[in-house]
Amino acid sequence: MGKTLFEKIWDAHIVVEKENSPSLIYIDRHLVHEVTSPQAFDGLRMNNRSVRRPDLTIATMDHNVPTNNRTLPILDQTSAIQIQTLEKNCKDFGIQLFDINSPNQGIVHVIGPQLGITLPGSTIVCGDSHTSTHGAFGALAFGIGTSEVEHVLASQTLWLEKPKPFEIRVEGKRKNPHAVTAKDIVLSIIKNIGTSGGNGTVIEYRGEGISDLSMEQRMTICNMSIEAGARAGLIVPDEKTYEYLRGRKYTPKNYESLVDYWRDNLKTDNDAKFEKNYTLHVDNIAPQVSWGTNPGMTCDVTESVPFPEDFSKGDQNQKKGAEKALEYMALKPGTPITEIKIDRVFIGSCTNARLEDLIEASKVVKGRKLSSHVRAMVVPGSQMVKKQAEELGLDKIFTDANFEWREAGCSMCLGMNPDILSPGERCASTSNRNFEGRQGTGGRTHLVSPVMAAAAAIEGHFVDVREMDLN
Amino acid sequence: MKGNVIKYERDNIDTDVIIPGQYLKVHDYAELALHAMEGLDPDFHSKVKEGDFILSGRNFGCGSSREHAPIALSHSGIKAVLALSFARIFYRNAVDGAFLLPIEIEEDAYSNISEGDEIDIDIRSNEIKNLTKNKTYKMKPFSEIIGKIIEAGGLFKYKPD
Repeated sequence: MGKTLFEKIWDAHIVVEKENSPSLIYIDRHLVHEVTSPQAFDGLRMNNRSVRRPDLTIATMDHNVPTNNRTLPILDQTSAIQIQTLEKNCKDFGIQLFDINSPNQGIVHVIGPQLGITLPGSTIVCGDSHTSTHGAFGALAFGIGTSEVEHVLASQTLWLEKPKPFEIRVEGKRKNPHAVTAKDIVLSIIKNIGTSGGNGTVIEYRGEGISDLSMEQRMTICNMSIEAGARAGLIVPDEKTYEYLRGRKYTPKNYESLVDYWRDNLKTDNDAKFEKNYTLHVDNIAPQVSWGTNPGMTCDVTESVPFPEDFSKGDQNQKKGAEKALEYMALKPGTPITEIKIDRVFIGSCTNARLEDLIEASKVVKGRKLSSHVRAMVVPGSQMVKKQAEELGLDKIFTDANFEWREAGCSMCLGMNPDILSPGERCASTSNRNFEGRQGTGGRTHLVSPVMAAAAAIEGHFVDVREMDLN
Repeated sequence: MKGNVIKYERDNIDTDVIIPGQYLKVHDYAELALHAMEGLDPDFHSKVKEGDFILSGRNFGCGSSREHAPIALSHSGIKAVLALSFARIFYRNAVDGAFLLPIEIEEDAYSNISEGDEIDIDIRSNEIKNLTKNKTYKMKPFSEIIGKIIEAGGLFKYKPD
């Protein structure tokens, strides 16, 4: 019987395998950041262990770095300590670090592909759940906890139970691909399969609706696999994949011969069997807006906030969850989404802070002004994205419209640095999680695409971006 | 293993409410414990006792990979979380660091066990006895590797056969 791409990558990385037992899997790339690594390095020191493959380990600081002026000292002492600790750990263990002043600094899932560190067919881990992003390149990439970070640092391997392959087909053509984006595709998928729909699986995204996407759009899709509960999400590489990685800073010297090998081998066989299947038709999907407190609580921009009994379809826990979510979000069922007023806009995060995201958002913003009662921040995903965007003049488009243009980092996606919502503030956010308090205690998050966030920033409330003239 | 139950009757309890992002900079586990469940239940710290269990619905621990989540619960005194299902990273973090036991239960245990009930968990017989209600429920057995890591006392103490 044929195999899926995931199964091929898994099989190629088995160090130890026994029937009915977990496998010891080799890890090709380990990405490290300041928040989930300190205890792992402490563990190495306590046990007199070294880092097994410092050459395959790359670090940056992203989660709690300030996104304002980088020449100023970091005011938050605990953040400063965490950042200094990573510097010391990388120095002590011989790990390459892109620090706060490096031109390569940025969100770990943005810089990996940009630097050519992310490669097709490889296994990639990081102490961050959104590591699934790298699956867009046909890698098996997944988030791990700090104990596993320590295990990988020490051994370059992990004991794992094999997940099941899950096929998600995305079929059809979007009518307006500038207004209905990759974010709307993945939010539609999560809305339909639920936040635990992918538990225990590795999703393979396939079909015309996926092959049509650019690499950056594919990253948005794979990024949110974890929000469906999946271990990882991946896409079989194609010519777009190979072209994206060609000539980057760390692209291997023998790249073309690798590409030849990948073309022949990194495929899902026609007779491969998936344990689960789901198909989304994208011809008629609308821009999505989350209304609740998990990414599955999402609806079309043309709809109204649902009634808990309609949303729950008879499931008591779902009904309670929806009631509690609406209370937290201060929303009344039946309110049209387009009547929801917002206070803040965040364009950023590992989901949607790449160059294309900023270009698309800038088309909405160009020649317009931010709504007077809204504060809007644009936080590029990396210093490289920031530089490229500035070369295109995007910074000027945003600042002319009164948006803030900031330095790279995770920023208001997770409320670890000073970029947070105040209690009760409502935000249109291009990030990945609308959990209670995620963007700051009491903050209310609506997940949307970059163009939807930009449109909401201009109008002061959600609007159907399909109705705007985007030229 | 005996203890009392703190019940959260909902699905999708995420790691951001178990330990909000602003505390991920805290390295002192006792201090982390002060903020456990703060995003969902600000009274948690005052009501939790050493040896208590949490009971909840589906997809417990979804979201971020932060190991701070099982650490904060464990250092609050929580010995096990009983849930209809778990998100994978939380599940492995709980076991890898030997912080607490993630126990998958069936619908009958979820609906029958109430807040405050005293229960006795036996992971050898895969049974949960409700001492308050005098009832017994089945728990889903741990997979082979998880059982072995638990028995060893964490990932770094686990030695393959």
